Amino acid sequence: MAEFLQALTQGLLIGSTYGLLALGMGLVYGVSGVVNFAHGDFIALGMFMCLALYSALSLDPYVSIIITVPVMMGVGALVYRYLLRPMVGYKFLMIVQLTLGLSLVLQNGILMVFGGQPARTPSAVESKLWILGEVVMRVPHVIAFVVSFAMAIGLYVMLRSTDFGRSIRAVHQNAHAASLMGIDVGRVQTLTFALGIGILAIAAALLLPGTPIQPTMGLRYTVITLLVVVLGGMTNFVGIMLGGLVIGVSEAFGTIYLSDILGMLLPYGIFVLIMLFRPQGLTWGTAR
Amino acid sequence: MLEIEHLVTGYGGVPVLQDVSLTLAAGEIVGLLGANNAGKTTLINSLSGVYAPMSGRILFEGTDVTALTPRARVELGIVQVPEGRLVFPEMSVRENLLLGGINRRARSNRARQMEHVLELFPRMKERLSQNAGTLSGGEQQMLAIGRALMAEARILMLDEPSLGLSPLFVQYIFGIIDKLHAEGLTILLVEQNLNLTLRHAQRCYVLERGRVAIEGPADAIKNDPRTRSAYLGL
Amino acid sequence: MRPDFYKILASPVLWGVLILAAPLPFLLPSYYLHIVILSLVYVALASSWNIVGGMAGQISLAHSLFIGIGAMFSTALLLKLGINMWVGLVISAAISAVLAAIIAWIDYRFRLGHLSFVLITLAFAEMGGLVVEGWDFLGGASGLLLPRDTGHFLEFQFGGSHGAFWVMLVLAVVCVLVNVAILNAPLGYYLRTIRDNENAARAIGVNVLRYKVAAMVISAVLASIVGTAYVRYLTFADPYLLISPVITIEIVLFATVGGLGSAFGPALGALLLVPLGEILRGQLGGVLPGLHYFIYGIVVIAVILITPQGLLPLFERLWKRRPKVAATGQPTVAP
Repeated sequence: MAEFLQALTQGLLIGSTYGLLALGMGLVYGVSGVVNFAHGDFIALGMFMCLALYSALSLDPYVSIIITVPVMMGVGALVYRYLLRPMVGYKFLMIVQLTLGLSLVLQNGILMVFGGQPARTPSAVESKLWILGEVVMRVPHVIAFVVSFAMAIGLYVMLRSTDFGRSIRAVHQNAHAASLMGIDVGRVQTLTFALGIGILAIAAALLLPGTPIQPTMGLRYTVITLLVVVLGGMTNFVGIMLGGLVIGVSEAFGTIYLSDILGMLLPYGIFVLIMLFRPQGLTWGTAR
Repeated sequence: MLEIEHLVTGYGGVPVLQDVSLTLAAGEIVGLLGANNAGKTTLINSLSGVYAPMSGRILFEGTDVTALTPRARVELGIVQVPEGRLVFPEMSVRENLLLGGINRRARSNRARQMEHVLELFPRMKERLSQNAGTLSGGEQQMLAIGRALMAEARILMLDEPSLGLSPLFVQYIFGIIDKLHAEGLTILLVEQNLNLTLRHAQRCYVLERGRVAIEGPADAIKNDPRTRSAYLGL
Repeated sequence: MRPDFYKILASPVLWGVLILAAPLPFLLPSYYLHIVILSLVYVALASSWNIVGGMAGQISLAHSLFIGIGAMFSTALLLKLGINMWVGLVISAAISAVLAAIIAWIDYRFRLGHLSFVLITLAFAEMGGLVVEGWDFLGGASGLLLPRDTGHFLEFQFGGSHGAFWVMLVLAVVCVLVNVAILNAPLGYYLRTIRDNENAARAIGVNVLRYKVAAMVISAVLASIVGTAYVRYLTFADPYLLISPVITIEIVLFATVGGLGSAFGPALGALLLVPLGEILRGQLGGVLPGLHYFIYGIVVIAVILITPQGLLPLFERLWKRRPKVAATGQPTVAP
């Protein structure tokens, strides 16, 4: 029983971060129709930046987001403006291929700079534990959970109550009408993409403590994010967060009850079952 | 106030408007008529900056605005109520209106503009938190016009406002158009409905296959036999 | 079958290229011959995937399953059960066909959206990889070593690079010709309707299930056969190469960059990108780990930005610009 609760808790904790990752992807898809297959590699980039900042300035990852977030957002804006925006209107798969090329560039850029050996970035809270009844939780996971949920709520509020959020939803619902309102659609798309990358920078810091990092780790996050975003119906806020929890929990159960390698089978399996029998995914309420 | 000089516009290399010139004086209602595919919507979209013209100029109050982005045109006050309303279906009436006033010039005045628009369309006041997609066609038209007014329009361009509306609603909407005209708003009215337009507009242009076939005061056009042939493609 | 197919089949360009290519093994040093053979393998694989991904518009990542079965299963049958690899080739192709039909049926029955289909086929591909990794019969994680190639054709041996080149050339040409054939047959037409609007196709009575299954099965059988031939050339059945989703991602890249849905596009993409990758790896692989892939990635991005519609349309445009004795003037403008 303890094992069951342990797996469940672990899954929920990490699932909220998966949801956050997917929200970023869903926002970008909603306004520009782009699915960024280098998504996970940006997370890896964020993690390696934290590593570099730690080596150079002894900054704890939670602190270095002050630097990594603006830098990554800047990079994201440039990437969208010059690589992705020219591609809007062309075949979806072609845009995906471009992001795959970007993925190669990021992965191997990191490899060239940092080498291929797994590295760890120490953090002040890395080994602290929080014990609740029979369940042992690692403090970094709890922090990740809280921050992810807070950010998700923040995003929701932004979308509902700010002009920027409303322009994002307007562009998603009818880009032509949005431009007739005087909304600069291209600018909204660029800013949304940058926002998505900024979210990834924060998520990178959240996921970093205790995780050995390698240049090729991005792919795993890309696949997980894709599973979550599709489960969430691509742009449905609640659906995506739910999807994150579902994937998180099934991954936790998979790795604890099966093995590390077979662990991914369970999320895949649950994904397949849900999408087969509920093609609209876990959507709930209106889309954004 | 608005002058279009020899505009040639199209897409994919194919011109849809072939040498169109028209003028709009401040405070006028000008009607733009023509059969389907005559180029009416293309003209309105060119005015909104959606299409970059192949040649020709657009002058707004004497300044050349041909190269301006759609956003810049809205900032100047050139606002369109698009064909088919195009309200944001999953946003509330209130959010749609707020979005109408999102451009920099209008943003500071939004609260007051909203009051004004809701006075004009009391029905919208009842439906403020309802999703625009669930409104009826006539209500959506009201919302679309209200949304455009939120932008502090100085020229209001309406593309087929009577499309798909019941006669009662059409009467109501055109009553609003008259009221706005009385308040001094310059209006460009695109309509397929010949008689309706001739009743409310002061001057009209009839487009045929991308060119201005006939122009003049509404009465003259009503009696011009060429008008009917332009419509029927004879 | 449209006459275009027969025109291409009899085209002097096609036969000229084949005749010119035939003596290549005698002319090229073995390193370059290897690159050419590799390119041909991927021409065949990319063209086979194009039937499902390009023509039918179903982005399937399950391709590695079929390649892997063709490679690993036939090898295992040979090594563990002494079954002749020709027989193994047929058995693997049959298994691939069945799996393909099942996947196509699932796609049809559950009306999967595009991204769902991508992820579900990915799930199948990952599962295939895990099955191979965990099952000793198929070599486990360490793979299987084939017996030395001594040129006995009846035992499915090619006699080294020379023979392998000719086999791969034939396979590549066959795969491309199958593409051409489908595009000029009713099947191609039906696949296009499914690609453009599946719901509309269903509504007008197109038997979507039959054509989806057909596309998937043809594609899988070709991939499986190429997989068996490829592993024979490599002599070592490496699961990480042959049954991991990575190979599918490469194939999809070649097909897309080359020109998705066209008969020659994927071949073009493979012929450009495979040598590029190999040469980059050869020149820069040892200099700094990751450098060659870094540059490869930049080249891919650049190519896509320059030709967002694929290489084939670009080539076609250049081909049309040749000076011609034509009477056509300016295109007429539709009223």
